Order: sequence, then structure tokens, then C-alpha cells
Amino acid sequence: MRKVAIVGIGHGKFGVRSDASLRELVFEAVKACLEDAGVTLDEVDSMVTGVACDEFSFGIQPSAQVHDYIGFYPKPNYRVEAACATGSVALRTGWMNIVSGLADLVLVVGVEKMTEVSTSVATEIMGRAGDAIWEYPFGTTFPGYYAMIANAHMAEYGTTEEQLAMVAVKNHYYGCLNPYAHMQKEVTLEKALTSFPVAYPLKLYDCSLITDGAAAVLLASEERARAISKKPVWMVGLGLATDTLRLGDRRSLTSLSAAREAARVAYKMAGIGPMDIDVATVHDCFTIAEIVAYEDLGFCEKGEGGKLIEARETYVGGRIPVNVDGGLKSKGHPLGATGVSMAIEITKQLRGEAGSRQVKDPEIGLTHNVGGSGQIALVHIFRRE
Amino acid sequence: MEFKNFSLFINQSKVARFTKDLAEGKIMSTVCKKCGRQYYPPQADCFSCMESEMEWKEVPREGRLLTFTRIHVPPEHFAVRQPLMPFSSVQFEPCPIGLIEVEKGLKIMGWIPKVDIKKIKVGMKMKASPFTLPDGKLTIILEPLNP
Ligand SMILES: [Zn+2]
Repeated sequence: MRKVAIVGIGHGKFGVRSDASLRELVFEAVKACLEDAGVTLDEVDSMVTGVACDEFSFGIQPSAQVHDYIGFYPKPNYRVEAACATGSVALRTGWMNIVSGLADLVLVVGVEKMTEVSTSVATEIMGRAGDAIWEYPFGTTFPGYYAMIANAHMAEYGTTEEQLAMVAVKNHYYGCLNPYAHMQKEVTLEKALTSFPVAYPLKLYDCSLITDGAAAVLLASEERARAISKKPVWMVGLGLATDTLRLGDRRSLTSLSAAREAARVAYKMAGIGPMDIDVATVHDCFTIAEIVAYEDLGFCEKGEGGKLIEARETYVGGRIPVNVDGGLKSKGHPLGATGVSMAIEITKQLRGEAGSRQVKDPEIGLTHNVGGSGQIALVHIFRRE
Repeated sequence: MEFKNFSLFINQSKVARFTKDLAEGKIMSTVCKKCGRQYYPPQADCFSCMESEMEWKEVPREGRLLTFTRIHVPPEHFAVRQPLMPFSSVQFEPCPIGLIEVEKGLKIMGWIPKVDIKKIKVGMKMKASPFTLPDGKLTIILEPLNP
């Protein structure tokens, strides 16, 4: 199999970007990515665009908005979608383009422009990430699904609301150190615990943000990677797995089977185990999701996720630093951009370019990106030379 | 009785009669005539043997609560509109929802009216029942069974 590396990264400013449209956000990320790699768009063979939702992008072909605006035509570009895991699916598709021999240099873009619609409309659109026929009639929302996972986890393992809030405290702390993060504000445990309820037991500070943003990476074949980059970051393990549409049909309500399976496949492909991971970005769309992710990825035993954050083992300097870029919680969660943004943070960490949030000399990093309430999950493993 | 009276958005389905049965007080599943696999919510087709010969069967309605929540920030469809009368407000007291398991692997989602959120506990025994709302829409509610 051909080897594939990340040789360029470009991260736009995440936030309420009322100054820019979807295509303009992409331009910022692509320009930064090409500059980082030191290549021009003419050298790029093909492109993949990750956008989660047509109702946010106001068109059924958001990829065309993108390749038109950056002048990429007539070269290949198409849109991929997997709800909140869209960015990782775009990355996987880019990887496949190179492995198959179709291309040597592929630009992977993830973007979402979410704040053009009202919060209640955005809530409804994301609520349909479950089953629109059989669950939505009960008023289900995206926070509602994770709230049900939280209540099941708390009942089974004694996980506490304080432990959930500790995830928020950590991720807001690191968001302040990330200039591209949406929220640049620390939060205290007390403030998080007393914030207004969104879906019991989840409160405002348990929830990720509705955010605009774009991120881009440049993938290269081995030959091109060695010519372009002094610090290529290799994609050495990829896992993707799926699960039932409805939460009610899951075998477990306290873990995401798709994430466990994706992790198993990715670890096997990379020939490593959970204890070999030096730094990770995980899908903390809600604080409970980060705790479940610790367990699903094997960073701790099942049911011990709450204790892992309580012992501060997922801070820089702990056993396994997680989401030290602020995570979805504080950096923001522009659906299509999130998976690409996760890969960018891991690339920065492995290159040693993460500044004040740098983990000490990491060699192997992992990203964990979940779609909807666990209908799809992707785990990617990256390695420096 | 239109399927949309239950599903809200979608009206066209091979299992649209689910709503008619709900109006008559029954929560129905489908069972594959060939392999016996049961589907709740009902499916018109069996993925175990790729056949579409199904029969309707009422589901058991008593079971234990697996999980629950109360959604305070509702989707647009359920959002409270501002009242038209000046100097007035609407008090929004959302109703909890839950998921009960009535048989191994067979789970029913429903509203939990009439129970204080603090008194709802995972594991409690509950009964699911069809319910007709004031506007004629049909839904399912979960009520605690007396210990
Ligand atoms: Zn069958």
C-alpha cells in the first residue's frame, strides 16, 4: 500500500464569523495550508470538500461554491458528508485518492457556516442527526441524545456532574491557549455546574459551540511528501465503523460501539495499542462524549473515564493529553471542519509546533471523530518520523 | 389517520398503519413471517432474510427505564412562540422523555408526563401507552408502575 502523509495544514479562525461566507472561510484555510506546504494550487491533483449540511450551506453542491471561489476547476473535487464526522471522512477520502494511485497531492477541505440560521433552527437541523421518523416526534435534540447517554453512564458507573464539568474546565483552559479557538474564556467548576440546563443533566458548559469555520490539509504520496516536507506526518492507521440509527437500538447506552470498532481497526492497522498514543483529539461534542471516548479508545477501563479527568491525566503532563487544542467544547464545532481541525492539531503536536500547549516530544497521535449520536465513527492514527 | 399525526415530518411509509393502531390503543411491531425476527419500531422489510412478508404484532408494554432526559432547549418544531399579547409571557416547563426496555432488545421511547425529573430513576418500572394529544396528534407516554 502507498504511504500517505500530511504535508500542509491551514486553520481558519473559528467563531461567529458574521464577516464571511462559507467560500470565503475556505479561502483563508486553503491559503494558509498551501503556504505551510510551500506549494501552489496548480501542483495539487485533486480535492475533497467536507460539508455536513445543505441547510447550512444553502445549496446542494457546496463543493462547487468552494472550487469555484478558489479557481480549482476543472480538476476533481466533490463533497463528502457524515454529519459531525464529515471532516474525517473527507480526510479518509483524500487518503484513498492517493493510495489508489489516482493522485499524488490532494487538498482536503472541511467547512461549515452555521450561524447564518437561528440557534433554534440549527438545533432542529442537528436534532435530525437521529431518526427523523421514530425519535424526533419526542422532541429529541443532539444534546438530548448525549444527555441520555450521560444519565445511563451516571447510573451504571457513578459518573458525576462534577466530572462532566471538569472536562469543560480543561478544554476551556486549553481553548484560551489556541488563537484559532471560538471561545477564549476560562470557566470555573462552579460556573460550569450552575450554568443553565440544556438537556438534563447537560448544562450550557457541557455543550460544544455552534461555530463557523474552515480547515484544510494537504496530503501527499511518499515520494511527493519527501520532496515537499521536512516534517511529514504519516497516516498510519485508519478505522471507520457504523452503528444503528436509533439510540434505542444500541446494545450499550454507555459506550459508542462504532468508536470502539473504529479504534480496534485503526490500532491493528498501525500495529500499536492505546498505551502507545502520546496525544489525542477526541469528539467532545458534549463533556460526556469525551469521558466515553477515553473508555472507547482504551485510555482507561470501561466506567473509569470520570476518574481519569478527575485525576487530571488528560492534561499536558498527564498520562494521555486529550483535546489540548480546546476540543469541540471551546475551539468550536463547525461540523464539516472538525475532523480536519483535529488532524491539524495532531500534526502541530507531532511537528513540535503547538506552542504553549505542546505535549513533550510526542511520536504518535490519534483523532476520534463521531457522526451524530454514534451512527458513524472514525479513528485515525498519525506518526512522525 | 395520517402517519404524520405521529411522525410530524414524514407521511409516506409502508408502515403508516402504525398510527391507526396507535389511535386504537395498540403499540405495534412487525414480525418477519419467514424468520420470526421482530422489529420495533416496525419495518416493512426484514434485513435478516431480505424478505418483505411481515405480520403485525402488539408489543409488551411494561419494562424498566434504561435512560431519560429533559430537553430544555427544544428544536424549532417544539419551540415556544412569543405570545401575541403584550406584557405577557409563557412559562416553558419541558416534559421529560425516556426509553424503556420491555423485552431483551425491544425498547420503546416515550414522554414521561406527571413525574418530577428528580424522581425519575434509571431502572424504575414503567408502562408505555398510546396517547392522543389535544390537537389530535398521537404519541406514546411512559408512566411509573406502582411498586
Ligand atoms: Zn426475516
